[in-house]
Amino acid sequence: MASNGAVPFWRAAGMTYITYSNICANLVRNCLKEPYKTEALTREKVHFSISKWTEGKPEKPTIRSDSPEE
Amino acid sequence: MAMAALRREGRRFAPLISPRPITAVRSSPPALSHEDEGPIGVRYVSTQVVRNRMKSVKSIQKITKAMKMVAASKLRAIQTKAENSRGLWQPFTALLGDLPSVDVKKNVVVTISSDKGLCGGINSTSVKISKGLHKLNSGPEKETKYVILGEKAKAQLVRDSKKDIELIITELQKNPLSYTQVSVLADEILKNVEYDALRIVFNKFHSVVSFVPTVSTVLSPEIVEREAESGGKLGDLDSYEIEGGETKGEILQNLSEFQFSCVMFNAVLENACSEQGARMSAMDSSSRNAGDMLDRLTLTYNRTRQASITTELIEIISGASALEG
Repeated sequence: MASNGAVPFWRAAGMTYITYSNICANLVRNCLKEPYKTEALTREKVHFSISKWTEGKPEKPTIRSDSPEE
Repeated sequence: MAMAALRREGRRFAPLISPRPITAVRSSPPALSHEDEGPIGVRYVSTQVVRNRMKSVKSIQKITKAMKMVAASKLRAIQTKAENSRGLWQPFTALLGDLPSVDVKKNVVVTISSDKGLCGGINSTSVKISKGLHKLNSGPEKETKYVILGEKAKAQLVRDSKKDIELIITELQKNPLSYTQVSVLADEILKNVEYDALRIVFNKFHSVVSFVPTVSTVLSPEIVEREAESGGKLGDLDSYEIEGGETKGEILQNLSEFQFSCVMFNAVLENACSEQGARMSAMDSSSRNAGDMLDRLTLTYNRTRQASITTELIEIISGASALEG
């Protein structure tokens, strides 16, 4: 699949559409006024533990726990 | 599960009540159920044992009732979220269609399950369907990999499908579920796994008593192109106008990622609802079971108590009559 013209800047930087939309959503959330702002920011916390398996053996699980990307 | 444990307790208890008492061992036939009186001269098991058993069954009943209430309130909270999230993937299905019968080389089965137990059989059904999908899609040049969400499916799939597991994700429900969380998760999956078709297995929440295991299929953009050539719904994609100077390939890629994220969000929410609903009904039936056990134990307790009183009376009276001469 040849891409005609320039790929959007975020795709060229290695981001997926999902990452891009999350960053945009965070920007919009930061535009809110208090107290809705803190409410929205606490709602959007991420926490899970992910472990990649290769050949039937688990690697050490990494805990992905962050506040939304700034 | 609590239900099975309580039933096992009841069965274990029956031989205890039969006349092999802890206090005194007389000759007694072993195969007497607790309904019989037993041969004369045998003292019964002490009421203490029965009382202890009743106390523990009662506390179990209280716990299961409380768990049911908790599950009901959690269900209410999450049900509105799940129903609202249905609108996210419906346009995608209208546009791209859902093709479970698509024939691809690299299948990835995403199994969604819960982290906590005591929720009935929903996790087993999800795992069963995942294994079925794996079998269905295995053949020459075709491979199926698993991505597992949740501890319960992990425990079951690790036992026999170790080499097909790609990723395992747990501790998902620490914070209340939100789109941000699930989309970051979907992003991780997309980055780490090569796929032609993603099949997401979850329990769709129809009502408090009905949870239907469902499979949603999300195709990679290349496969969408391939299927578009064969016509059908995807063939109409060319009739859409594309604004903004992007190519069809780019749009398909963006759409496919976003579709995966939306479908995952809905699937995770629906599975959480089903989990709470299944937990409610499991805890409800175990409270009822505990109540039945308590009734049976009370009857046995009273019978034991009356038998011991009668025995004492008999001893006193026969002793007295022996004295009289």
